[in-house]
Amino acid sequence: MYQSFIGLEIHIHLDAETKAFCGCKAHFGDEENTNVCPVCMGFPGVLPTLNEKAIQMSYTVARALNCKLSPNTKFERKNYFYPDMPKNYQISQFAEPVGRDGYIDIEIGDSIKRVRIHDVHFEEDAGKMIHAGDMSLLDYNRAGYPLLEIVTEPDLVIGEDAEAFLKSFRRLVRYLGVCDGNMEEGSMRCDANVSINLKGAGLGEKVEIKNLNSSRFVRKALNYEIERQSGMMDEGKAVVQETRLWNENRDQSEPMRKKEDANDYRYFPEPDLPPFRPSEEFMQDVENSLCEMPLVRKQRLMNSYGLSSDQAEYIHEEKYMADFFEQAVFSGAEAVQVYSWLSSDVKKLLNRTGLSLEDCPLSAERLAKLISMIGDGQISGKIAKKVLDYIFDEDKDPETICNEKKLVQISDPTAIGKIVEDVLAAHAQVVEDIKAGDARQMGFLVGQVMKASGGNAAPPVVQSVLKEKVLG
Amino acid sequence: MEISDLTVTATLASLVLDEAETQKLGDEVSRMLSYFEKMSEIDVDGLEPTTHALQKENRLRDDRRLSNEAQPDELLECAPDLEDRFILIPNVL
Amino acid sequence: MSDFEKKWSEACTQPQTLKAYRKYVEQWEEQIGSFLEFDPLRSLEADIPQGPLTGIPFAVKDNIAVKNYKLTCGSKMLEHLVSPYTATAVKNLQKAGAVMVGKTNLDEFGMGSSTDNSALKQTNNPWDTERVAGGSSGGSAAAVAAGLVPFALGSDTGGSVRQPASFCGVYGLKPTYGVVSRYGLTAYASSLEVIGVVARTTSMCKTVFEAMKGKDPMDHTSMDHTPSGKEVKTVGVLKIEEGALNPEVKASYDSTVERLKKAGYEIIEIELPTLEYVVPAYYTIATAEASANLARYNGIRYGHAPVYAENPTDLMRKSRHEGFGDEVKLRVLLGTYVLRSGFQDQYYVKAQKIRTAIRNDVERWYDKADILMMPVFPTPAFHHGSSDLDTFQQKQADLYTCTANLVGHPALSVPSTMENGLPVGVQFMAPPFEEDRLFQVSSVLEKEFQAPEAPGYHTDWS
Ligand SMILES: [Mg+2]
Ligand SMILES: [Zn+2]
Repeated sequence: MYQSFIGLEIHIHLDAETKAFCGCKAHFGDEENTNVCPVCMGFPGVLPTLNEKAIQMSYTVARALNCKLSPNTKFERKNYFYPDMPKNYQISQFAEPVGRDGYIDIEIGDSIKRVRIHDVHFEEDAGKMIHAGDMSLLDYNRAGYPLLEIVTEPDLVIGEDAEAFLKSFRRLVRYLGVCDGNMEEGSMRCDANVSINLKGAGLGEKVEIKNLNSSRFVRKALNYEIERQSGMMDEGKAVVQETRLWNENRDQSEPMRKKEDANDYRYFPEPDLPPFRPSEEFMQDVENSLCEMPLVRKQRLMNSYGLSSDQAEYIHEEKYMADFFEQAVFSGAEAVQVYSWLSSDVKKLLNRTGLSLEDCPLSAERLAKLISMIGDGQISGKIAKKVLDYIFDEDKDPETICNEKKLVQISDPTAIGKIVEDVLAAHAQVVEDIKAGDARQMGFLVGQVMKASGGNAAPPVVQSVLKEKVLG
Repeated sequence: MEISDLTVTATLASLVLDEAETQKLGDEVSRMLSYFEKMSEIDVDGLEPTTHALQKENRLRDDRRLSNEAQPDELLECAPDLEDRFILIPNVL
Repeated sequence: MSDFEKKWSEACTQPQTLKAYRKYVEQWEEQIGSFLEFDPLRSLEADIPQGPLTGIPFAVKDNIAVKNYKLTCGSKMLEHLVSPYTATAVKNLQKAGAVMVGKTNLDEFGMGSSTDNSALKQTNNPWDTERVAGGSSGGSAAAVAAGLVPFALGSDTGGSVRQPASFCGVYGLKPTYGVVSRYGLTAYASSLEVIGVVARTTSMCKTVFEAMKGKDPMDHTSMDHTPSGKEVKTVGVLKIEEGALNPEVKASYDSTVERLKKAGYEIIEIELPTLEYVVPAYYTIATAEASANLARYNGIRYGHAPVYAENPTDLMRKSRHEGFGDEVKLRVLLGTYVLRSGFQDQYYVKAQKIRTAIRNDVERWYDKADILMMPVFPTPAFHHGSSDLDTFQQKQADLYTCTANLVGHPALSVPSTMENGLPVGVQFMAPPFEEDRLFQVSSVLEKEFQAPEAPGYHTDWS
């Protein structure tokens, strides 16, 4: 009988070399207060200067989210006092953001849902405050990071929707190369708002939830909140507009300490930055930086390569993997084979070595070659796995490795026959047992032959030769 | 201007006013605000607000690291309270 | 270099003259208190480049950053802050060979017209120490008028260079907004202010301006200087309402018009009906911007911190309560108020629209006149305290100067006459980038009347 409405506010760190408004390095994990200058520390007399790459990435995201792009985007000061915010105002956008009124299609379960985007705006991050007993420690390395805030309309219904949205959105920004989407390191952050109401009665009182540090928490927190609000409605209590924090240890949302006064951000135009009017070349660069959207790509992977939905889901997760996949297929490998290798052996090796597909020694061409060598009968699947190991260890082409390591499949029955004879001679008792009816011992002999061949003998040939020689 | 209005404004500005200041500054703020009322006499409908008097062109900075004459350590030295490289502030729980 | 400039270039670069020069400065300082910090040696340690200002000493208003010098802004809040960097304008002057010798007093954060709002020092007018030097660049104007330096930097948000220049009998230039980089100028009202020059001669003013200007990668509101090179023929003189000016100032104003006529300029009378809205619009915009610009002072990263605070909010509030003076608190409160939701349209947005109306009102005259003339301030230098002019009246008296800030145009305050022992100046205003027109007219007037020498003034260091 209730209807719930969820909207998300997502902040992403734009993957630029420097901060939004100064030339300091924008990099996570450096020693505290090393990437700072008078500008991002808010010293008297400093002025902001707009990072070209960051503003271009902002337009790219807005464009990818099908927004109306601003021909004259403006910067504003958002005023509030916070210890980790050096100027005690944040340079942000309000009246004329980079983009507004967009949408993104996402897959939730088996259906596709369109989520409207209210606006996309550029701003700067604050520093970090670490609480330590009766003191707080301030680190301003993050102060001034270029941030992009994406605000959705309240088009999502339950926690699972929000989780799916975040996953899709993360994939999108990684496809665009504008953000690594790492929620643990805070390069992607999410706040949510939820309201519920009787069906058909429109939006209810909005409750904001902060501190959602993973897409799992987003799901849990929103479902918790929907339940909490429904409970209140059941009891006839009014839901009050407030901001709550998700407590991940207790799995519940809790009211944030009550602010003494309502916020009034007093937005006004940033006098230190003139408005930005993108030129035609700038917009062309934005167009050029776009790529096929993940969902479109997934559908194409299914349609063009016959992958199942699950297989396409796996392959399209990372743009590089999808590119790799298509390149391997283009180089002659069969699509499903490429998928199988990527989703099992290659994945295992990547996990073991801690490398990413992008910077590991395996190229799409090498994988395609490896697959074709199996197809040609040059090597067995088993050898191929060994070759893959060597590719990772030695960064060489599969043929080179096979030549150097003599990893060539022996499928000539005469050659195998010789090995079999040696093995049979060495294990006469086993042969007798088999002849007497103990068929289980056959496996032992196969193993011995494979071992004697250095693993190079083709197993089907070994089996047929053995059968013939032992059982006649 | 009401006292409560002054208090809200002061809080937004992170100022605390003692009693004497509330009186004195309250009077002066009110005096200026009533002087500002003069602006209601002039009709400026249809005029664009001037936010940037003369700036016409785009200005952008290359996304390249800049060396700065001020070293991070020099900046930290300005802080009233430090612990190693952290700036320290009190926080009674 | 002129003889005047040559003489100055030796003041502190020759060891034997440096001693005499320092003694001269020390003597004057006892009377006028223009410097918050004076130390020529610190700059002399560095190699001085060859350029149009080689060896010439100058002072810098203490709201402009110079590395290793304090940057107090005349406030308790920043009393002990040493600047970690140097403003672009100062760097440009140092590249031109000028030698920075000290930091001058000012109204706290540039907020005032008397320099009496400095929390750190009182500055007196070299012509009459009972009177103010004007403000907020009062220290710079007093130092130049007393001959302690041939020029000094000030900042002009609503007249803060031109008014003290007029009170002290020297030249005061407010350049076109954006032509001189603001990087390193402590922000008070960002969209209005610019670094300006106080100087003893027109030509020094021009040389300094030329050396200082230029588009700066650190200031995205800075611009190239693109003058037209036009020669001034017609001067548009603002018609003065009966009683709007103190009689001495009016007499001085009229005699300047006569001199201009004698020099062959065509004079036309102009009117600015928007003038009565200039001050409320100016203070609305200036305080709104100030409320944000001064939010950074919270006792955390630098500046005054209280002895004890319970939590971050308490720390911020106490440091601001203890660190800011009354005038600063007043303007921050006012600026916060005019930006509050529910009031913003009525005050801040309205003021920005009025700003457009004022620009239209001013610019229409440039079809008829090459340059505009108006008073600097309705009175000569007033007495310390509020007996002549209370702080509210001082604000209302900004009407002639803050017009140029609202529209961004260049303006120059020129010494015009002595009245009852006090200098009085007159102001010229030109279209954007047309500083040269100001210098043209100023040089012509300078032939008739030069910056007067206050009793005790000399520049003989030998
Ligand atoms: Mg935000
Ligand atoms: Zn920085």
